[in-house]
Amino acid sequence: MQLVHDGEIRAFEVIFDRHSGVAFSLAYRMCGRRAMAEDIVQEAFLSLWRTGARYDRARGSVRSWVLSAVHNRAVDAFRREVVRDRQAVSDEGLAERLPAAEQTDLEVERRDDASQVRKALSELPADQRQVIELAYFGGFSHSQIAEVLHLPPGTVKGRMRLGLAKMRAAFGESAEVVL
Amino acid sequence: MSAEDRMSNRHDCGGDAAAYVLGALEPAEAEAFRTHLATCIFCRDEVAALQPVADALPMAAPQYNAPSGLRRRVLAAARAEARPAPTPDRRRTTGFRLPRPALAGALAVVLALAVIGVVNLASGGSSGVRVIPARVTALDASAQLRVTDGRAELVVRHFPPPPAGHIYEIWLQRGNGAPSPTKTLFSVTSSGAGNIGLPENMSGVSAVLVTPEPAGGSLAPTHAPVIVAPLT
Repeated sequence: MQLVHDGEIRAFEVIFDRHSGVAFSLAYRMCGRRAMAEDIVQEAFLSLWRTGARYDRARGSVRSWVLSAVHNRAVDAFRREVVRDRQAVSDEGLAERLPAAEQTDLEVERRDDASQVRKALSELPADQRQVIELAYFGGFSHSQIAEVLHLPPGTVKGRMRLGLAKMRAAFGESAEVVL
Repeated sequence: MSAEDRMSNRHDCGGDAAAYVLGALEPAEAEAFRTHLATCIFCRDEVAALQPVADALPMAAPQYNAPSGLRRRVLAAARAEARPAPTPDRRRTTGFRLPRPALAGALAVVLALAVIGVVNLASGGSSGVRVIPARVTALDASAQLRVTDGRAELVVRHFPPPPAGHIYEIWLQRGNGAPSPTKTLFSVTSSGAGNIGLPENMSGVSAVLVTPEPAGGSLAPTHAPVIVAPLT
């Protein structure tokens, strides 16, 4: 039984090494605080470890599962916060920068995918990009965004829809981006 | 009607699909939308079309490596939390194990190769380099494993790129056990070439396998091997 456990640990290490970078990057982008991002990623991976025996691959790739767990935990953390000081984190820069040595350029595939997604997002009209970033990275609901931007909720949802559809078209025109 | 048509404004369901895949619906709205999805093909198509875009958004964040301290903490916590031993039924559904058909196929290939034997093409025994020709499924392609001091490099030439949305994943087999995943995923250059170093030590490894897997890799092979390099 110990061998089984050791084998699962090795598989888990492989999963962590493959996906922890993008998971941490997402958490850090969402909350802008390293300690909070690390806690979120740790919770997500340990959740995968605890429930791994029940993981159903038909529901999606491991990376999608981990990133979804990170995203959901970050949004939950935001909603628990009384003061949403993360709103002070600008889109252009993070309040707390990681040491440059920890920035990676080792994974060519990951870098290429990241470049392509960033390009598609950056080429959206500013009003569409804004609502998508506020929703996905900011964890705001469409009604919260509508309130902040003084827009009808339907307009916010329409901009989300147009923006995602344009990104989808952009992915289709160039190399494939998949998770 | 195509999925594109359905994605257009030719249906009137409130336009919630984009907000849903972004996680931007309020909890009660999301629950109601999930119920709606069960009966609306238009919204199901729209969610299916937009979900991959939302899934790709994490890559728009500046990319970092996870801090090394985080790795140590997570793995230490996992080791400390011995998972309950899975029951036989649960073990069949685990993501950490090889599906039986894929395992059977992989073992069959390895056993067949074991009969053929291993050819050592090392330029000289004193060089310490074992060059092991690998069996490949692609026409005109070639692959060999170069093993030096327990470390291996997989060299492929004229190899086709992985299918769309897939990447090649390297597996190690020990004895007759199930192949275990490695950290190594790769594609090939436009000419079909690739020199892929394996960080793992080859001690105890009976075969190196390569399978095409969905991008991001898999925990267990989902396709038959396209490269098999037997070491024993």
